[in-house]
Amino acid sequence: MIAAPSPAVEIDHISKRYGRTLALDGATFAVARGGLFALLGPNGAGKTTLLHILCTILRPDSGTARIGGIDVVQQPLKARSHLGVVFQEPSLDDRLTVAENLEFHGLVYGVPRALRRSRIAEMLALVELEKWRDSLVRTLSSGMKRRLEIARALVHDSQILFLDEPTAGLDAQSRERMWQYLRSARDERELTVIVTTHYIDEVESCDRVCIIDNGRILADDTPAALKARHGHARLRVGPRDEATTAELLAAHADIATRQGDDIVLRAGGDAFTESFLARYGTRIRALSVEEPSLESVFLSLTGRELRDQAAGARERTYEFGKRGGEHTR
Amino acid sequence: MKATAGGLYAIWLREVKRAIRDRGQLIGGVVRPLLYVLIMGIGLNPYFRGEIYGEVRFVVPYTYVQFLFPAVIALNIMYTSVQSAVSVIWDREFGFLREVLVSPMSRAAILLGKILGGTTVALFHGALVLALARFADLPMTLSDLGLGLALMFMLAFALTSLGVVIANRIRSFEGFGVFSNVVILPLYFLSSSIFPLDPSLTSAQTRVIYPEWLVVLIELNPLTYAIDALRGVFIHFHQFDPRIGPAVLLAMAAAFFLIALFDFRRT
Repeated sequence: MIAAPSPAVEIDHISKRYGRTLALDGATFAVARGGLFALLGPNGAGKTTLLHILCTILRPDSGTARIGGIDVVQQPLKARSHLGVVFQEPSLDDRLTVAENLEFHGLVYGVPRALRRSRIAEMLALVELEKWRDSLVRTLSSGMKRRLEIARALVHDSQILFLDEPTAGLDAQSRERMWQYLRSARDERELTVIVTTHYIDEVESCDRVCIIDNGRILADDTPAALKARHGHARLRVGPRDEATTAELLAAHADIATRQGDDIVLRAGGDAFTESFLARYGTRIRALSVEEPSLESVFLSLTGRELRDQAAGARERTYEFGKRGGEHTR
Repeated sequence: MKATAGGLYAIWLREVKRAIRDRGQLIGGVVRPLLYVLIMGIGLNPYFRGEIYGEVRFVVPYTYVQFLFPAVIALNIMYTSVQSAVSVIWDREFGFLREVLVSPMSRAAILLGKILGGTTVALFHGALVLALARFADLPMTLSDLGLGLALMFMLAFALTSLGVVIANRIRSFEGFGVFSNVVILPLYFLSSSIFPLDPSLTSAQTRVIYPEWLVVLIELNPLTYAIDALRGVFIHFHQFDPRIGPAVLLAMAAAFFLIALFDFRRT
């Protein structure tokens, strides 16, 4: 009998508490095999906690998590052999060379010698580090280290690759390259890539996006579907004079907000735009249509913007929990 | 099973490579025995018999350098073993620990690989002392050497495990520096390493000649018996029952390893 392949990742009502802070609150979702899956949320949303539970270094308080059908609490060793993980903080040995780090990984994951050799060469080529093969890791830049960690996570037969904020702290160019590597790795072998990020512009090209905030899963769909369901097109209007501004605000009180000299109308569609132009066309100096973005999806789901968030008390508590709740004690 | 063997080898190899690349540690391993054997040992050699004070309490068939020599081996192993625990703190602070924690290796295998790596380095540093054997006028047969290395291995394994146990209870590098000196030096000086207890006296008589607290501390110190075992092999002299030494070494190795494993499993 051939069973239907189990989902790459399945989590069911996972909760985790650090002291009095609820880091994950009954999170539930499933990720199908293959594809690029993004876990999007602000710092402190519970992304890292979730990832640590999936890589078996944290135990959930309740709920179940499976990786390729294997329960991570009951069979952690078996679950781990299918995982490749890139943590937020580097976990390379910087006194060993690039090749030695990869060799170490291959041995620990039990990759046979011949395959290990070819895989290491292949992965170094993928992340363009062949020239640094015999350099000590401490001489690499932080972007190169991150690339090396991706290569390392792919040296064994990982079916699922977890990356925790792989692009944090990198410049725009390195960030773009990082995504290129991930996409080509996804295309070259049967791989499910799960990435946490708080950069909203990066997840547009992912196959699926899961939005998480305050330990709860708010939405889980393709970027297009999310935008269609939760996003709003917006009209940005630049009135010529104060009278027009006042009139516009009065006429569309329910959907208009003032941003500086502009008025933003939460409305879209060609019909609305046309009738709006017919009526006010001569009294505005500028008009632009803003397509629904994931930013607006996030705004409508959580009631706040994703960017510009200072580290709040909640986030600090998480940082503490991350340090104190694990082996780093 | 094969994967575990490969993983053990990888972890072991990493410890050894890191130690070889750490010049400071190697210099310490070479200089320490030179100080103890060539300067302290040879310097104190003439004062050892006690005739100088006009009274010979007991006569032992060895010189001070010979007496000191096995203890210097133990000292070198001790420093290196406990130092290897620094690498445990290092792995924890710099994230490498996570790389092995999410690997399919069991916690026991990870710990064993790590401790065997530290043990190998410590054993090597202990063996460095053997190069000074001719200055101590110590003839050595091959079987002595083999037996000695086996005992040194057990001691290195026990002390490396102890280092890991300590490292698990210490949060910073700075704290470890203080702690290791507070542990190493007292343990060493209280192990009858640099002065003998008169072997011809009974336990009660010893307590009359030496202050009782000192005798009690020495007798409680497991390192005393480890060094006694090494003396048995290298200078064929025992202050205690020769069966105690290997037994204490085995017990230390097993106990410290199990405590380290218990700590590690909890994380």
